[in-house]
Amino acid sequence: MSTILEVVLIAVKVVVVTMILFGLPLPLTWLERKVAGHIQVRLGPWRVGPHGLLQPFADMIKLLMKEDIVPDRADKFLFTIAPLLAMVPAFAVFVAIPFGENIVIPVINKEVSLYISDMNVGILYILAISGLGVYGIILGGWASNSKYSLIGGLRSSAQMISYEISISFAVIGVVMLSNSLSLVDIVRSQGGSLLQWNFFYLPVGPVWCAIFIIGSLAEINRIPFDLPEDEGTLGAGFHTEYSGMKFALFMLAEYVAMVSVSVLTVILFFGGWNSPVPLPIPIPPIFWFVAKVAFFIYFFMWVRFTLPRYRYDQLMTIGWKILIPVSLVTILITGFMRI
Amino acid sequence: MSDKKGIDILDLIKKVLFTDFVKGLKVTLGYNISKSITHRYPDDEKWIPYRRFRGVHTLNRDENGRELCVACELCVKACPTSCITVVPMEDDTGRGIADRVAKVWRVNLVRCLFCGYCEDACPTRAVRLGREYELACSDFRCTVRNREDLLMPQPVPESIEGGIVAKAKFERPLSGIKVTADLKVTKKRAW
Repeated sequence: MSTILEVVLIAVKVVVVTMILFGLPLPLTWLERKVAGHIQVRLGPWRVGPHGLLQPFADMIKLLMKEDIVPDRADKFLFTIAPLLAMVPAFAVFVAIPFGENIVIPVINKEVSLYISDMNVGILYILAISGLGVYGIILGGWASNSKYSLIGGLRSSAQMISYEISISFAVIGVVMLSNSLSLVDIVRSQGGSLLQWNFFYLPVGPVWCAIFIIGSLAEINRIPFDLPEDEGTLGAGFHTEYSGMKFALFMLAEYVAMVSVSVLTVILFFGGWNSPVPLPIPIPPIFWFVAKVAFFIYFFMWVRFTLPRYRYDQLMTIGWKILIPVSLVTILITGFMRI
Repeated sequence: MSDKKGIDILDLIKKVLFTDFVKGLKVTLGYNISKSITHRYPDDEKWIPYRRFRGVHTLNRDENGRELCVACELCVKACPTSCITVVPMEDDTGRGIADRVAKVWRVNLVRCLFCGYCEDACPTRAVRLGREYELACSDFRCTVRNREDLLMPQPVPESIEGGIVAKAKFERPLSGIKVTADLKVTKKRAW
């Protein structure tokens, strides 16, 4: 009986997380366009619904109604499967991500954990799976039979190789600070107050955080590192030839990746669901978690409309000549500090 | 040499602390929380131009309601694009300020470049460029304005100085869209 209940619970959690992730890009596209508008002293979406709130639905209907074009002489199979290959890893990352401590459901009086699976190597799993996401982009660029798409895909693979290393180093740093590879334990080790957070483990915490955020920006292809879809020089990069729902799947993957990076930043460096200061009134931990994640999502949008795009050689310089040496040195310092 | 090195170290410290990045973020955050300068035209707001604005022509009357135009055809001569047609006629019933009035006074707004030379050439200040600027329409008939239309009183009276944003209503009947401004509810523009 209890085994069946466990299976049902896991199924329900998977469905809930997937539905949330499918739903999240709708408000996020609206928010991104609003942030873009207000930073450029415009209004952003305004006419569809109050404050343009229904704009994502209008966009969704538009994308569904559009013709699904497969270019002439494109590799039809790879062209179709590439958006899925980009999307599935972005979702699969959330299997290992915890959202809070265990809670007790009042009616059936059962303790439920707020994660789908607490792997003891959760962070390694996330690094491995999110690394797969680049296959969708490379194959999409390859299969499109277009030079813009191909160059976009190639840039994406080079970018991935350069920045994945420094992200992994940053994660190793966090693992050294928290003595665990499990994300739940990493969050627990930062409990208590603001000063326990990995970000405030001076002097190495902020360095790890900066390396992780810069590398993640490059990995999820956002400005200032959005060279795979460099509108200025490549048309639209790897998704130049995509339209309709396939394009929407790429966009979905991008937004889910942005959410997962924000969640990871919060979990690894900013104490997950722990409250920053001990408070007399109990505030549900999920509130802190959502608030921190929302801040980082806003931060990534804010950065997008602040910085220009790096040139390709600058991107490589930052990756190989700065981030990797800095992370090696910081590993050394962290090791000495943890003796 | 040592001086140069000092500058380099300062530069390095700046790079390590991301000072330029933080400055940029500060600027964009300032704009993000500042008020938008977009006019919500045509939904809620409409821009009322200044008096010097050069929009669609108007033909004016004197204080007794007589037409000021004497059909001298100087505007036709002055027009660089020959978009004005004037046909004079004789009329001593007091319709105009003189015995000579315009039978036809027609301007083709597709050819007009709103230079205001007709206004300058006019000896009686009959033709003025008004403040109407919504010229979009769906066929060529409405691009030609006749004497009868131009003699109509202006939607924005001369007494209003302009340079303001008025509250407006956007109407979309089948006969054609229009934006009517409510001149009682106005505000200065945001910038």
